Formats: sequence, structure tokens, C-alpha cells
Amino acid sequence: MFQIDLKSRKSIYEQIVDNIKELIITGMLKAEDKLPSVRELSKTLTVNPNTIQKAYRELEHQGFLYTVSGLGTFVASPAELAADEKLIEEIKDRLRENIKELLFIGCSLDRIRKLLDELLEERSDWNDKGN
Amino acid sequence: MIKVINLDKSFDGFKALSDLNLNVKKGSIYGLVGTNGAGKTTLIKHVTGILKPDRGEVLIEGSPVFESIPIKERIGYIPDDLYFFSSYNLKESAKFYRSIYPNWNQQRYEHMVKQFELNEKRKLSKFSKGMQKQAAFVLTMSSMPDYLILDEPIDGLDPIIRKLVWKYIVEDVAEREMTVLVSSHNLRELEGICDSIGILSRGKMMIERDLDELKSDIHKIQVAFKNPAGDPYQGLNVLHKESRGTVDLLIIRNRKDVVESVINKNHPVIFDMLPLSLEEIFIYELGGGDHEIESIIF
Repeated sequence: MFQIDLKSRKSIYEQIVDNIKELIITGMLKAEDKLPSVRELSKTLTVNPNTIQKAYRELEHQGFLYTVSGLGTFVASPAELAADEKLIEEIKDRLRENIKELLFIGCSLDRIRKLLDELLEERSDWNDKGN
Repeated sequence: MIKVINLDKSFDGFKALSDLNLNVKKGSIYGLVGTNGAGKTTLIKHVTGILKPDRGEVLIEGSPVFESIPIKERIGYIPDDLYFFSSYNLKESAKFYRSIYPNWNQQRYEHMVKQFELNEKRKLSKFSKGMQKQAAFVLTMSSMPDYLILDEPIDGLDPIIRKLVWKYIVEDVAEREMTVLVSSHNLRELEGICDSIGILSRGKMMIERDLDELKSDIHKIQVAFKNPAGDPYQGLNVLHKESRGTVDLLIIRNRKDVVESVINKNHPVIFDMLPLSLEEIFIYELGGGDHEIESIIF
């Protein structure tokens, strides 16, 4: 499914959360797909099952996954994803850094605005699910 | 569950452990770290019921470990200095283990001997140091322990065998909720496998916490201000500060959001925040006063 980088500064827990999130965002994991059980994933990645359990719990908390007891853990459909204000703020920070960099290398504000519009245009097929 | 309460132990007037507490949850992988001579092995010898406490209690599932056969049958222990009967080979040792441990799993033993490519017929005393460790691991894991206690287990093992050893351990934790207590100086390896950490110093437990919580509480930051006014770090618990030109490098013990809110008040031009590795936490928590160590590392 994905690899854990032991040399990374990011903790294993964060890596699992981020990796699964990425798989969901890119559509590699679709809504209602079943995730491997904590045991299975722990064995394939050689990662402490408690760490995986915690990562699943965090993803559930953020609304990416849901668990049906006895059946397993599944990917939630995007409609059920409540936009988490804290998460939005974090992503905004990342965008701010990127804009800073663009300005530094000599991009004008107008150019940046055009870039952003282009990027949004690429995603115009994304149907807004009531948010 | 392993619980050590207010444990004291002295040897000839030297206080090896003092008022020590330890809590290992069921199904957890607990890393015990500490400087040389901090008392890790002494503590482990109490948990395995080899040493008798001077004061305090050592409990597994609520009962004292010392001289308790029903509990010891469920403990797998690999000491730092291995011991085998001098003329025994692996096969004979396995027979001995089988007679002692009621949960002995012959099928697993045979599978592991093949997988580790160990010669059952050769005397264990003729094995190399690394192979003896492997033999001890095969015997211990085949006894299907509920509590696995390892003192410096990965010393002298090659990377391929190390990976295999961890795979077995993780599998048993996942499948049977085995509880693991492991001491090591290889912090990078521990960081990759443990969920809880206990830092021991001079016979005392300094810190005992969930590893991710421990790491979310201490940060390394790089920061630079255009017009620094007064002390931009007021209100933060700064463990270490160093300036490189206009950029400051700090180690701060606060939660991430607290650090961010204080630093952002002064509008930094550079602000990078990095989590610390277990190795760095160890150095700051235990070597904090030692400036020589600090200046070599940073």
C-alpha cells in the first residue's frame, strides 16, 4: 500500500495518517473501500499495531474513515467530510509559504492570481457536495 | 500489564534503583532507555523476577513476579549476556525449553530454525555471538510468551535478521497482544517500533510517556525576525538557544500551537518547526547541563 520511511523526521504515526489521506484524496482509495485491518497492516509494514490503531482513530476523527464494529474500517464518502477549520488553516499556511516563494522569484501578484485561477479551473469538474 | 511501584534496590550500599515506577500496558511495546549505568538491566532483572526488591513492588497482572512460577512460565526473557548449558546444541536446548514452558510451540520452533538457517546439531557454545542471539530469540519466541523482555536485543545482529526479529515481535503483539519491554541504546530503532518510552537516569524514572505525546511536546525551531523587539521568546520554555547570524535555533518544550502563537506575534521572516528525534530528546533531557555534549552535536 505504502512505505514507511524510518529516516523521516515525521513520526510513523503521522506518516500513516498522511499516506492514507493521500490515497483517499488522489482517489486510489474510494469511498466505501475497506482498509486492511490493524493487524494486517501492522504485519505488512512491521509497525507497532498500537500506532496503526491510533492513526486510524485520528483519520476517523478527521472524517476520512469510519469503522463498523466487527466488519472493519472503511473510507468515508467526501460528502460526510466536514471541513475542519483547523485543517483549512494549516493548508492556508502552506499556500502562504508558496506565495511568498513565488513573490521572491519575481512573480507579480497578477501572475500568481492567474496561476491560482488556472489551478482552480483544472478542478472545475469537482462537484461541490453541499459545502 | 507490568507495574513497578516505588522500587528501591541497593548493592553494597550503592543505590542502583530508587523509588522507581514503571507502567507497561498490555499489548504495548515499551522502550526503556537510559545512560550507561542508569539501572536498566537491574530494573529488567526485577521485572523478570530474578532480583528481589529491597522495597516496593514488581507486579505482572497484579501479582508479584519474584519466585512466581505461573508468571515466569509466561515471560520470555533474553538477557544481554546469554547463557546456554555448555555442551548443549540447539535441539537439546529446545527440548529443555519445551519441558519448562507449557505454551511451547514446536511447529513455530521448527519453522524458525529453518528461517534463521541455524544448525540444530552444532554446540551453541561454538556459535558466533550474533548466532547465539538468534538461537536465544528462536527459543524464546517458540515458548510463546505473553511478556517478552529484551535487554539490548539487537546488538550484534545484522540488518536482515534484525528486520526478521522485529517482524516476529510485531506479529505477536498484533495477533496475541503480547506485551514487550525492550531496553536499547539504538534509539532510532526503538523510535520505529515502540509506542511508549521510559527514560531512566541514575536509578530513577525521569520520563514515562506515550512516544508520540512526548514528541509533540518538544520542538526544534529555526526562526529569524526582521526587527526583533524585546524578547520574542517570552513565555516559552526554552531548553536551548543558539544564534547563527540572524537565524536563531531553539529547542522549546511547549505544545506546537503555543510555540506558533508566540513566535507569530512578532512576524518572523523565517519560521521552521521540526519535531525532535528520540535521540535528540534523550540528549536534551539527560545531557541538558552538559555544554560540551551540546556544542559537539549542534
